[in-house]
Amino acid sequence: MNELFQDAFFSSIAAIGFASASNPPKRSYIYCGIIAAAGHSCRYAILQSSGTDNHNLIIATAIAALLIGVLAVIAAPLAKVPAETYLYPSLLPMIPGMYAYRMFGALAKLLSISGEASFNHYYYIFASQGLTFFAILTVMAIGSTAPIFIFKRISFQATRHGLQ
Amino acid sequence: MKMTTSTTYKYDCQSMAKFLSAYAGILFSSGSTCIRLEKNVTRIAETFNMHSVLSIFPRHIHLTVSDSGGEVTTAVVNIATKPVNFTIITRLSSLSWDIADHRISLHDAEDKISEISSRPQIGIWSKTALIAAANASFCRLFQGDATAMLTVFIATVGGLVIRQTLSSRNFDFRVATILSAFTAVVIASADHIFSLSTTPDTAIATSVLYLIPGIPLINSFCDMLDGRYICAFGRLMHAIVLTACMSIGLYLGISAMRISIF
Repeated sequence: MNELFQDAFFSSIAAIGFASASNPPKRSYIYCGIIAAAGHSCRYAILQSSGTDNHNLIIATAIAALLIGVLAVIAAPLAKVPAETYLYPSLLPMIPGMYAYRMFGALAKLLSISGEASFNHYYYIFASQGLTFFAILTVMAIGSTAPIFIFKRISFQATRHGLQ
Repeated sequence: MKMTTSTTYKYDCQSMAKFLSAYAGILFSSGSTCIRLEKNVTRIAETFNMHSVLSIFPRHIHLTVSDSGGEVTTAVVNIATKPVNFTIITRLSSLSWDIADHRISLHDAEDKISEISSRPQIGIWSKTALIAAANASFCRLFQGDATAMLTVFIATVGGLVIRQTLSSRNFDFRVATILSAFTAVVIASADHIFSLSTTPDTAIATSVLYLIPGIPLINSFCDMLDGRYICAFGRLMHAIVLTACMSIGLYLGISAMRISIF
């Protein structure tokens, strides 16, 4: 339980910090933190109960991204900001950076080594890490943006009466 | 019963196209999705009984405005390269609703746009501290320890200072990204070289994650789901180029510090 709260806490700090990079209205920061904490801890809980292999990681990320998308649409009219405002900072803690890192590292090795066995080894790392990276990224982006299109009326009327 | 009064303004297509193209240019360059841009522009045009058609390309927008009398005007606006700004997107979207609900004049709306565009942003040092704290939290999420988090915080500040300095001197954004990633990795590699923490690889790997182009990536999927493939592809390519620049900086940093992590 302690790890779950830690996960929620640090993902909300990450979300609030990264939100500042896109200059959102100040009233939206708190929602960014809450949505990120809910999404990331949801993924953490699923992974803890089902195991952390690539297949489970992709499914857990898709469910968490969908949750983030739905919460973003619900929170948009509350702060009178577009739902997209919440997506990037809330999703960022789930971006599979380590997979991208290993993929590019293996690619760099591929270009600098010689010998078939070494090449096959690093090509395997490059392909397996790269495929997982792109699969996670795709389900993350589609899962989070789909609710904006499903609930178009709420999403695109959120900013009504928002100009002060 | 609440009584409201509204004045009906009449404009020709040229005035409307001029206003809408300026509005669309600012909204799109601030990081709006295509669907939001089209909905807002259409909402404003329909308020004044006009019809608008948008062709949105990655670098410019073609806007055609027509009225019931058969007058047609086309305007083309270039998309400026600017940082993403959700405050501008929020306020311009609200402005489109204000025009539709309260029928404010284009002259007043232009004043509002000037005011929205010139609003001060969050201070540069506050933003740097927030992003650095976020990246340090990232390090924790990837199982980095407290020393690794501190290293990532300092590395992120260093990388951001380099990027902001180069951007303010009009350096190419790709060069700025490479040098920013390089700086962050060189600083973070102190953890590896001096064995400061138990998770030096995590510190190095997470030190550059603040450069991930998340918004172009998410916007490209938004545009793709809406069937706007040209714009989606343009944004995806932009995100891939920035990710590649980040990776080049990471690789150069690791090579320069002679660190082997594979």
